[in-house]
Amino acid sequence: MAKLGFTLNGQPLEVDVDPSMPLLWLIRDELAMTGTKFGCGLGLCGACTVHLNGSPIRSCSFPVQAAAGQAITTIEGIASDSALHPVQQAWKELNVAQCGYCQSGQIMSAVALLASQPNPSDAEIDAAMAGNICRCGTYPRIRRAIHRAASLAAVQVFDPGTGTAVQQEVV
Amino acid sequence: MTLNRRNFLKGTAITAGALVVGVTMTGCGRMPLPHRNAEDLQPSAYLQVTPDGRFILQLAKVEMGQGTLTGMATLVAEELNMPPSMIVVEHARYHPDFADPEFYAMITGGSSSLRTSFEPLREAGAMVSALLKQAAAQLHGIAATEVALIDGVLSSPKGTVPYAEAVSLARTLPRPESLTLRAPSEYRFIGKKMTRLDGEEKVTGAAQYGLDIQYPNTLTAVMVRCPHFGGSLESYDAQAALATKGVSQVLEIDGALAVVAKGYWAARQAANKIKVTWKAGPLEGVDSAALRAERHRLADSEPGKNVEERGSAELARGERFEQRYDVPLLAHATMEPPNALAVRTERGMEIWSGCQSQQFVQGMVADALGISEDQVILHNQLLGGGFGRKIVPDYIVEAAKIAQRSGAPIRLVWSREDDIRHDLYRPCATALMTATIDNGKVTSLQSKAVAPSIFGQFIPLMTQSFMPRWVPDATHSTIGGLAAPSDPSATEGLAKQPYQFDYQRADYVMQKRTAPLGYWRSVGHSQNAFFMESFIDELAHKVKKNPLDFRLGQLDEDSRYAKVLKLVADKADWGNPPAGQYQGIAVHESFRTVVAQVVNVSVEGKTIRVHKVVCAVDCGLAVNPDMVVAQMEGGIVFGLTAALKGEITLKDGAVEQSNFHDYQMLRLPESPDIEVYVLPAQDRPSGVGEPAVPPVAPALANAVFAATGQRLRELPLRLV
Repeated sequence: MAKLGFTLNGQPLEVDVDPSMPLLWLIRDELAMTGTKFGCGLGLCGACTVHLNGSPIRSCSFPVQAAAGQAITTIEGIASDSALHPVQQAWKELNVAQCGYCQSGQIMSAVALLASQPNPSDAEIDAAMAGNICRCGTYPRIRRAIHRAASLAAVQVFDPGTGTAVQQEVV
Repeated sequence: MTLNRRNFLKGTAITAGALVVGVTMTGCGRMPLPHRNAEDLQPSAYLQVTPDGRFILQLAKVEMGQGTLTGMATLVAEELNMPPSMIVVEHARYHPDFADPEFYAMITGGSSSLRTSFEPLREAGAMVSALLKQAAAQLHGIAATEVALIDGVLSSPKGTVPYAEAVSLARTLPRPESLTLRAPSEYRFIGKKMTRLDGEEKVTGAAQYGLDIQYPNTLTAVMVRCPHFGGSLESYDAQAALATKGVSQVLEIDGALAVVAKGYWAARQAANKIKVTWKAGPLEGVDSAALRAERHRLADSEPGKNVEERGSAELARGERFEQRYDVPLLAHATMEPPNALAVRTERGMEIWSGCQSQQFVQGMVADALGISEDQVILHNQLLGGGFGRKIVPDYIVEAAKIAQRSGAPIRLVWSREDDIRHDLYRPCATALMTATIDNGKVTSLQSKAVAPSIFGQFIPLMTQSFMPRWVPDATHSTIGGLAAPSDPSATEGLAKQPYQFDYQRADYVMQKRTAPLGYWRSVGHSQNAFFMESFIDELAHKVKKNPLDFRLGQLDEDSRYAKVLKLVADKADWGNPPAGQYQGIAVHESFRTVVAQVVNVSVEGKTIRVHKVVCAVDCGLAVNPDMVVAQMEGGIVFGLTAALKGEITLKDGAVEQSNFHDYQMLRLPESPDIEVYVLPAQDRPSGVGEPAVPPVAPALANAVFAATGQRLRELPLRLV
């Protein structure tokens, strides 16, 4: 066991856990935050995707100790108090989700993509989303929803330094 | 008192476009509704109104992505004249009134949900509406026709009627003898585009699946299982596992080991430390190649059971043309692995999980634990994928057994490896397809399917959960054994196929040696459409006809098949693919829905690239048109995964694959453009969850033939 500190969805947090435990199980089992999903345990399906300083990682195979001192963001942390993130908004508008189980991970990958590339091409979408499996087959809508989110006026991005959301105008 | 669904519809009549249905009351003294509330207006099992004006729908058909939650809410909302988003939806607990009229059980499968709920749910809405209006009329001393129920507001010319008063009075009123359902021309919500009701919670992470439910002091259990089907536990050493921090128990459960610990990580770490020796069992030395060779021998040597014969055998004139097709076992791989939270409480065994049959849980858990069925309390949840896997609640029974033995609240979590290696698989199958061709005319079409039977394994589970406890176990397996050789799923889509030839027959030969089997999205159609529609394509080329023209020539030109074929050919610009691309076509009916698809491919070396799939569907009335489109898209991707990648193989009776690196799924970059065209219809809905799957593989294989001249008769498709 080891005491580790990091930021989770903008809030400082200190935990006392097995430092080799994957971040996913800290989030789900210790913190009871269940939006982040368990899919494969080997980083193959992307259902467990969260952000480490704004970049997508597979939390099922990412040891907690590697997150020490870093900013972690989960699906619960991307909407503001008053509004869904534009990616969530586009997902909802286009009826992307079917069973919905993989969508937290899909959305986290898409949010990270749009933060680094506000107007991605199909090829860029392919590259950014290849690590996320959807068994229901929502890929055609995911592609459309990412373009839709990109076209919404403002896209929330994450300040890598603090993990907090800031508004940024997208041209 | 509850409404008996089967007697609910006494008679129907059409008046001015609206459907008038007669109502019969029966069922007094039957099992009380598990969600009964004495304060509510609750004239049927489906729908209740609370004194504070909430309209609560019991979701008797589970939501696993296919959109039933939105669809069923739409049906009641239409008759209540309020937006579906105003309906409060609860996961229904088991009650006989929720039995599917075709399965005679409370089960979600067979793409039947909207089809079999279409009348009962609209009637439930109309009944509530009629009673509320009658009560309001009495309260205001006016005629019921002067009362309006609009968007949740109950009002008359004299003002708004408070729900507390209306509900209280409505509960005491006799039910109307007949109900008038809205005419299709009046529909406000049915057939209109809308966003999914579960759409928002599924993008915020708030949606609750079985794995997300929290209960105080829950321990996590993971399993260490015999990898060999039918094998057994010889010996094990759990000392190191038990010494792991956080681990409380290692329990032997039905020849497997359950490691109980605080949290998944501790349990998994400990499970990895168990030293265990297994006996391989009856499939020792048996691999997939041997099973396939056995099927080929059976195809050649066994006549099998005749399922269908049309015309006279002597009409099968001309040259004989025969080809053999093969498909492998497939796993479901739902994104949410099987899991269940089981807690011993003073009420009995309470379970939180997602499953496709609340009734099987009730029966099978009671049977396994030796408790009564009313002591099994299932709180069903959203399913992170079902595809037929979660019809059989083996994972729930397992969790309940561990909870009973352990004493602690138990969350059982299957790993992805457990899921891939211990699924109930889509059967592997071989088909011998035979035709006779006389002077350029195909005179007969015969198919012989060789496959193990799902029935042989499923029927005993069903009878065990439906029949009295004193019926000995041997009886169930005997019934299963009797049913197996007549398993209709083995030949569905081969028998009753739509093409007209002078002589047609379908036979089934059952393979006895098998892995565990189950229902996999579109079931027998998933392989039989590949056999049939690939072979039809072969016949078209054999008689030198365009594959579309050949099909149309063998179909009734007014048939649904011909209609969707013509539509898809038109929309896909059949015959004029972009440069470097090739097209294949297929049509198939399943679950009363007809789907035709055109697939555009290109081939580079041995790589097949799918560019586009155009799909036309006749599914009757599309209650939620955008969800029909979504099911077609999803079914196409699901079918492409099977056609391009899906294969479970056995070695020593154990599955060789384990996770998504060796049991691969189609990913976004490989996902083609998909266009869906829904035939307009106003009558009633048929299924949409499964029917898009069957035509994909043959349409793709036919396109690959067009591109390469190679006729691939095995799935997954591999160019040589």
